[in-house]
Amino acid sequence: MSSQNLELTIGWLYPTLMSTYGDRGNVITIERRAQWRGYDVKVLPLDQNATAADIKTVDVIVGGGAQDRQQEIVMRDLQGAKADAMREKIENGTPGVFTCGSPQLLGHYYEPGLGQRIDGLGILDLVSVHPGENTKRCIGNLVIEVTASRLAQDLREMTGTTPYLVGFENHGGRTKLGKVEALGRVVYGLGNNGEDGTEGAFYQNAIATYSHGPLLPKNPFVADWLIQTALRLKYQQEITLKPFDDSLAAQAREAMFKRLKVNLPGAAAAKV
Amino acid sequence: MGNKIQFIDRLRLGFAVSVAKSVTFIVRSLRLGAASVLPGSIARRIEPRLLQLLSQQVKNGVILIAGTNGKTTTALLLCTILEHKGFRVTHNSTGANLENGLMTALLESTNLLGTLNTDYAILEVDENIVPRVLKPLQPRIILCLNLFRDQLDRYGEVDTISKRWTKVISTLPTETVVIPNADDPTLSNLGQQLPQRVLFFGLNEPEHYLEAIPHAVDSIYCPKCGHSLDYKGVYLSHLGDFTCPKCGFTKSKPTLESSEWSQILVGLYNKYNTLAAATAAIELGVDEVTIRDTINTFQAAFGRAEDLVINGKRVRILLSKNPVGTNETIRVVTQSTDKITLLVLNDRTPDGTDVSWIWDVDTEKLVERGGTLVVSGDRVYDMALRLRYSQKSPESSINLIVEEDLRQAIATALEHTPENETLHILPTYSAMLEVREVLTGRKIL
Repeated sequence: MSSQNLELTIGWLYPTLMSTYGDRGNVITIERRAQWRGYDVKVLPLDQNATAADIKTVDVIVGGGAQDRQQEIVMRDLQGAKADAMREKIENGTPGVFTCGSPQLLGHYYEPGLGQRIDGLGILDLVSVHPGENTKRCIGNLVIEVTASRLAQDLREMTGTTPYLVGFENHGGRTKLGKVEALGRVVYGLGNNGEDGTEGAFYQNAIATYSHGPLLPKNPFVADWLIQTALRLKYQQEITLKPFDDSLAAQAREAMFKRLKVNLPGAAAAKV
Repeated sequence: MGNKIQFIDRLRLGFAVSVAKSVTFIVRSLRLGAASVLPGSIARRIEPRLLQLLSQQVKNGVILIAGTNGKTTTALLLCTILEHKGFRVTHNSTGANLENGLMTALLESTNLLGTLNTDYAILEVDENIVPRVLKPLQPRIILCLNLFRDQLDRYGEVDTISKRWTKVISTLPTETVVIPNADDPTLSNLGQQLPQRVLFFGLNEPEHYLEAIPHAVDSIYCPKCGHSLDYKGVYLSHLGDFTCPKCGFTKSKPTLESSEWSQILVGLYNKYNTLAAATAAIELGVDEVTIRDTINTFQAAFGRAEDLVINGKRVRILLSKNPVGTNETIRVVTQSTDKITLLVLNDRTPDGTDVSWIWDVDTEKLVERGGTLVVSGDRVYDMALRLRYSQKSPESSINLIVEEDLRQAIATALEHTPENETLHILPTYSAMLEVREVLTGRKIL
């Protein structure tokens, strides 16, 4: 199958309401890496004007973070048929990356520091609670090792090394996982709750993490995994992705590992 | 205002002031720094009501300037206007805008007896401490420039900040004059709710509308009812001509007709700064001729559209510390014919430790015009990646030079600058200080 025929639709959850911390970075990274390979890429905003039918057409989903008021507007809008469509997509394996506030939205509920509990879609078995305005936020650079077994294995095969992700977290809420698998273990930073060493969640092909939206530029192999998974599901065949010169990302990762003094066996030498 | 200070307060104030002055003397003579924060911090321990006792001695009143972008430039313009009228003005000109910085600035104009000898105090105040300093400062005028998302890693959310401002400002005396930005929905709403006298400033120049609403936008929802706002046009970020189709909330009418005013420096954001300062100056009774003269001869504060000549090459420093400000500086760069730009990204405390915001900047506009882009700073690779992903094709359409060492990056950028062009430098705050230090060979803070 020639790459010219391949099409990819990125569904972007509420671009104007849920893009607080450079979350657009994830959309741009997927979009460009697919475009650079010659695929036709469409970015479809899944906002108030979108319908359940629109949600059903997307091949990969990106969701970012929202301020509390914006999160409420989203939750009021994402109900009924639209919520069902979103649930169906994720259950059926549509890949997605959900950063910052989005995982709270996919979980059972989020209790903000002020105001009422916001019910989530209940797709991920997790709950998030803000322990109050006077509790310190979890802020800073974040390094995790991906431990979610199927994803970790895929990424190991793609890169030939242990998959470490570099990001930045900034959240007041603390997340506790139920039966859902964690995305990874915290190597540097605080993660889901600063206590149990877990970070994020992985369910079907949905990646949830507290790391902000520009997660993919520095972890381009995750972007490629999302693209590959989306194409496999859409075209029902394995599609090999053309590699790029990702040396800038490799240098960005090395600079951060060095600064945080995290010693990762083989990570610095690993090709990204 | 006035000088009604009790004798015992006067004694303790005098002591606090003399200690602070000694600290300033020691710090400066040992060349430990510019002493823009420490003296205030120490004096405040001796006299906790220092801010109140000092500010009530300001003869004609305190003018407080708050907002995410433009504080320093607006303050400097207003300062210059008042000085042209022969007034003595105290200003926290180094940009130290937390409580200790405000106190240190006031202490500078105070004699050893604790007597503050100044006509006006113009104080730039960090948006987060506005609620804490309003009561002790009792400002005569409050300028609310804009509220953008900036340094969310420290302060949380725009909504929260505006709510807290409204709550505290409404408890001030009714003579207080509040001057909010009419084009900022959150601040327009704030002004419409206050019992005080409110004068608005804003633009009325549709020819400056942007083609599309930029991505780095915070408030496009009605601050009253939460419905999406209808924009006739956007000037920058969420600033523009808006109405709410549901509840009828709309932009307030500015006092000055913006098209009749020229502006200081380059960039539309400086038009806002000009209008804000002019509105305040008119309120203070300054004649229009003086204001217009000052605007026409205004010199930039350091790093804010500051022009330098280095080795015969023209250099312009455009502080770029958040998405909205950076989009505007990119607009300035792309409107010029110059094809060489240096971007310096740091992530130290004054910059905000999170650099995710660069993905909210429309760097595509900078990349689309081609030319040479040099990047440097603590997070040089993050900036390089942002520019790489701004390119539509896998082959580079720009000459991207990645240089970790700032000194080398500046040298390289200057080498690439032809004699008849200007090198634009877009640094974050701490990077701006470093860039200036390299270019001028001296420290400023």
